Amino acid sequence: MLDLRQAATNDRRLEALLLHYEVETFNTAYAAALDEQRLTDWVEMFTDDAFYVVISRENADRGMPVGLIYCENKGMIYDRAFALDKTAMFAPRYLRHIIGNLQLLGEDQNGDIRARANYVVLQVLFDRPDAKLHQVGVYHDKFRRVGDVLKLAERRCVYDNLLVDNALCLPV
Amino acid sequence: MAWQKVASLDALHAGEVLGVEVDGTTIALFRIGDEVHATDGICTHAYAALADGFVEGDAIECPLHQALFDIRTGKVLAGPATESLRVYPVKVAAGDVLVELGGTEPAREAPAATAMAPRDGGPKSASPRTGNGAPESPDMTGNGAAITTRQYVWPGNDLTVIPDWVYTDQYVYEREVEKIFHGRTWNYVALEAEVPDAGDFIRSNVGPTPVVVARAEDGSINVVENRCRHRAAEFCRELSGTAKEFVCPYHQWTYDLKGKLIGIPFRRGIAGKGGMPADFKAEEHSLRRLNVTTHRGVVFASYAPNMEPLADYLGPEVLREFEATFDGRKLTVLGHYRHSLPGNWKLYHENLKDPYHATLLHTFLVTFGLLVAGNRSLMLTDKSGRHGVMASAKSDVKSVTSDAKKEMRNFKEGMTLREPRFMDFIEEFDSPWSVTMATIWPNLIVQREMNTLGIRQIVPTGPHEFIMKWTMFGFEGDDEEMTRHRLRQGNLMGPAGFLGLEDNEAIKFVQDGMQRVPDGEHLVKLDPATEAGTADTLISEAAIRAMYKHWRQEMGL
Repeated sequence: MLDLRQAATNDRRLEALLLHYEVETFNTAYAAALDEQRLTDWVEMFTDDAFYVVISRENADRGMPVGLIYCENKGMIYDRAFALDKTAMFAPRYLRHIIGNLQLLGEDQNGDIRARANYVVLQVLFDRPDAKLHQVGVYHDKFRRVGDVLKLAERRCVYDNLLVDNALCLPV
Repeated sequence: MAWQKVASLDALHAGEVLGVEVDGTTIALFRIGDEVHATDGICTHAYAALADGFVEGDAIECPLHQALFDIRTGKVLAGPATESLRVYPVKVAAGDVLVELGGTEPAREAPAATAMAPRDGGPKSASPRTGNGAPESPDMTGNGAAITTRQYVWPGNDLTVIPDWVYTDQYVYEREVEKIFHGRTWNYVALEAEVPDAGDFIRSNVGPTPVVVARAEDGSINVVENRCRHRAAEFCRELSGTAKEFVCPYHQWTYDLKGKLIGIPFRRGIAGKGGMPADFKAEEHSLRRLNVTTHRGVVFASYAPNMEPLADYLGPEVLREFEATFDGRKLTVLGHYRHSLPGNWKLYHENLKDPYHATLLHTFLVTFGLLVAGNRSLMLTDKSGRHGVMASAKSDVKSVTSDAKKEMRNFKEGMTLREPRFMDFIEEFDSPWSVTMATIWPNLIVQREMNTLGIRQIVPTGPHEFIMKWTMFGFEGDDEEMTRHRLRQGNLMGPAGFLGLEDNEAIKFVQDGMQRVPDGEHLVKLDPATEAGTADTLISEAAIRAMYKHWRQEMGL
């Protein structure tokens, strides 16, 4: 005789596992796009009304809205990418994202999937090419299915290292 | 050491100084009546030949900065020198003047942060009759230890060339802390909006020195050093908060919100044993207080006991721009940025006194046709040269002359933003300028970039690094849409700003260049029509020259 409760539990766990896998795959692709400075690909990972902000923990804890990068929609996200890619002057560098500790936190009323993950960005400059911690923080995310593709409706990158090393030249 | 003939007595006249070279040492000889005296021939302050100086009675005045020394003892009579001249035993025999080298060590009046002769081939401002030419002249102290001394030579006779040591030298930095940040200056520390109620406090800095800014019960704002008077602990650890008093965590010494020492645990010991001495006066051990002034919601502090009012400190033109931004509306804080810049703190002042770079570095502005070389602009300095305001007016004219286009490599016609409204300028201020960047000496930048407003505070940590703390603000009465607009426009500024990040990178490149290829010079020759001061062309470095005119005066260098 089938233990129906066990089967139901297994189904839920499998579903959770699959969702976890899907979001993790997304984050891996996100990191690669930024690490390889494929900023156009990065832009396409957001919904049209997406909110993307890189904000210090100091501001986030105090409910203050100012962020290093502040984008209210995909248009601003595109402008950020375009400006950095085509016009900004900064020293060449390697960047490497490590994203982990992924947690799926449930669904919003409108079906958006809430998640959070830790992230670390390591940076190598060429005049003295040692690898330094450039940013460490948490992604607070809302994912949304657009067609059958998962996209970000919101990514708030809340960083712990309040003292930024000189400049943040690329999105995180 | 042997006696050496250095001159004949006939060559030496009363009231004059004669310079001679002996074994690579420059000596100055003097005749006072029938006495002959010999001292070092190079001023202990900067590398100038006393032989070119002026004898006044029993004293010799250095020609370069007018330091005065007693001829007989070598002692300093008037600054900017702080170290005495060495004197040498002299005798006259058969019409010859003889000097014994390896002579008396003068009493040291100041710690040895002193002279090194300039590197061979390096720029020299002194006359030909100088120098022993050796790169380093070791001085022997009484206990036989050799110390190397260094001279600070400003190349050329004007301000169009700045030597690297201004930006890279540790002694110069320490002197800046003493003479500038702890001197007769007003230093930004906080906004009143950050400490609105009694008990509110925030950590801040005056120069590198950590302070606490607190609102006391009587409504006054107080600024005290963040250092316990017991055993030096930096007692305030939170970035900000609210408290009734400050308690040092180590031994719980307690201070009120004005810094007065009000509690010492076990002051009278326990059971008659231990405790503080009976005559210990707590009132003599309060936290060190700074003087405070506030204007339009902005709080300044000073170590100087008798500072002029802020309005006088700024001067009328800079005050007008300050008051155009802080127009009397109550401020609201929108958030902070903090970053560490690997460069000398003065490079940041220079960057905002450098209108030349605007269209050449910030290609974002040029690519989108937002700032072009023909825009109405002004680079204002105050009378002293220490403060400045870089101002520009957003023009409606989109066309750029073809000459201007050629000079700006990065101009790309026809580029537009997908979300252009973040570049909108909403008329908000009573000012002819849409953008003003004010540099208020020594630690404050007031940014009014259209509608995105910020305070930038400089916290130097040494010659090669400073921390910048930004406080972005709006006004009470901003509706949600205005606040959002300020936040969107804020993408221009800050450590990741479209304009901000490039300045940070450029400053790093400059410091890298100086550290890795040392002992060089900076050229600030643009716009010779303006010696030092306000310029109405972007293609000028006159404001930078004005700043160093002031700096050299304050530093005695």
